[in-house]
Amino acid sequence: MTGEALLSVRDLVVRFDTPQGEVHAVNGVSLDVGAGETVGLVGESGSGKSVTSLAVMGLLPAPAGRVASGQILFDGTDLIGSPERDLRRLRGKDISMVFQDPMSSLNPVITIGEQVTEILRAHEQVGKADARARAADLLRQVGIPNAEDQLVRFPHQFSGGMRQRVMIAMALALHPRLLIADEPTTALDVTIQAQVLELLVGLTRDLGTALLLISHDLGIMARVARRIAVMYAGFVMETASTVELFANPRHPYTVGLLNSVPAIDDRGKALRPIEGAPPDLEEPPVGCPFAPRCAWRVSSCWTEMPPLRPIGEGTADGSGLEHEAACHNPVTAEEVRGAAPLRPGFVPAPPPAAAATASPEGPA
Amino acid sequence: MMEEAVVSAAAAPPKAASGWRGVWAFVRASWLNALAVAIVTIVVLMALVGPLLLGNKANAADFSAILQGPSASHWLGTDNVGRDLLARIVAGARISLASAALIVLLAAPFGCALGILAGMVGGWVDEVLMRFTDLFFAFPAFVLAAAIAATLGPSLEHTILAVAIVYWPWYARLARSQVLTLREREFVLAARVSGSSTGGIVVRHMVRNVLPIVAIQMSADAGNAILSISALSFLGLGAQPPTPEWGTMMAGAQDYLQTAWWFLTFPGLTLTFTVLGFNLLGDGLRDWIDPRLRGVLRGGRV
Repeated sequence: MTGEALLSVRDLVVRFDTPQGEVHAVNGVSLDVGAGETVGLVGESGSGKSVTSLAVMGLLPAPAGRVASGQILFDGTDLIGSPERDLRRLRGKDISMVFQDPMSSLNPVITIGEQVTEILRAHEQVGKADARARAADLLRQVGIPNAEDQLVRFPHQFSGGMRQRVMIAMALALHPRLLIADEPTTALDVTIQAQVLELLVGLTRDLGTALLLISHDLGIMARVARRIAVMYAGFVMETASTVELFANPRHPYTVGLLNSVPAIDDRGKALRPIEGAPPDLEEPPVGCPFAPRCAWRVSSCWTEMPPLRPIGEGTADGSGLEHEAACHNPVTAEEVRGAAPLRPGFVPAPPPAAAATASPEGPA
Repeated sequence: MMEEAVVSAAAAPPKAASGWRGVWAFVRASWLNALAVAIVTIVVLMALVGPLLLGNKANAADFSAILQGPSASHWLGTDNVGRDLLARIVAGARISLASAALIVLLAAPFGCALGILAGMVGGWVDEVLMRFTDLFFAFPAFVLAAAIAATLGPSLEHTILAVAIVYWPWYARLARSQVLTLREREFVLAARVSGSSTGGIVVRHMVRNVLPIVAIQMSADAGNAILSISALSFLGLGAQPPTPEWGTMMAGAQDYLQTAWWFLTFPGLTLTFTVLGFNLLGDGLRDWIDPRLRGVLRGGRV
């Protein structure tokens, strides 16, 4: 897998130095995105999704954020430690990014046309007229009517959906090989979320651009991603093909996530939230970060974080994609529906004495 | 969502509010704005066309008409060597405006460049530059300007330089504070993600966003600059007689306050109103670009 992947993140560890101490934002993430592939990265706020993507771009907020260890291989080259000049050439041209909030990712005092041409001028020698024509083409490509007239308008004259279309046009302007979309539809009206998502997926497919889609929305993931990685507290907990992950989740956290999503055919059934709260990232991780909230935990969960390893008997969809989970005591197929351990006499392991004092919520 | 929209509108004055319609909307917003625009317009007209209308009589002494009060032939009277006060005051407008323009055009770009540098680079560069501006803030601005002007030697040019030297740190501070908030904005990150260089980001995103606020500071400072130049000239550090500078004229008029009230009063009033006009303009513009205040002002009219 590592050899052929376009983007291969290996054991990435990201730390933030804050006045309150060190924040353990990403704790050893491994992730592959193949050429032209659409991969979803799911997780709740603070799980390290966005930090991972900023690390890939080499744009962790300096000087607080730093990559403590690991590799980020793009097309075989390790981006960590690459000179800024090389990274800058890569950004926008080979890897680009769409952010969550199109309101704030456009400069309010500069015309749309100038902002779209900015990315062209950053990488190529283009004349003014040529750049304008290309900018208009790009806007047409993302379905903005009267593209020429729109070039002289300002961001506040556009709706949120239109602005996100502009951002997508800019991100795909130079036909990058990888697009990272960080919650690209979260800030939009529900009615246009689907349109924008469709546009994003359609264009990346047409251009052969790999898409790393970051979201907390499992519904979006189910629709577009071929493979999903589930993150929690800076770790990848489980990764599998989308079909496999929904049909046969093996990590207790994934099971909890899926059970907390309302389904249209389960009307009237109460949603099951995951009890407890995510861990404090200022504490260095000891054992599995999900252990305090987990009904399946065994005693080793408190002391040792299991590595991500192949699991199960193959995949439900026959895609051949590896199903991996980082769990000492994976959920069995029968237990998924009940969302509780079914083995007779199983009791979640109590925390060791030291962990009991460290974690205020204690055993669930 | 609504709030977001308001914030982005704040940084970008609507296109409809540019040009003459914008000026008209600004004037209608408050009577103080109208007063400010009126005064500044009159002073600018005095400077531009006044000498053309009145001829070059500012230094034409007429010993047959010494210290005459306001009359049909000399609307504002004459001074101690029989020069027409109106002609001198009008000629002074050109000197005052040119000095003020020079001061802000020297201080603002220099200060902004250093402020943007400090804000973008941060770290010890920021620390050194800001402690350097602290040095200037530690002294009363006028005293410092007087000291510099005196050291350089009395002349209008030296005074302009001296005032510009004490003004630039304000622009450095202003630009730095803007850059510190701007660099955290997502569109700067978006530009970096697009592969823009730091230089490109400074030119396209920092300078363009800082410019409106700096322009307003410049218009507010123009009034203070005129006052500083006149005050230094009054003290003999600036323009030298017979230059028709308002402060210089007032210095010469001190001895005649008992006998010829117009000699001191008219240059004084002109200076007062000019400074008032520019300060009101600066205040008005400051409120004007704050969209929340603009809403209140407009709402008050409806």
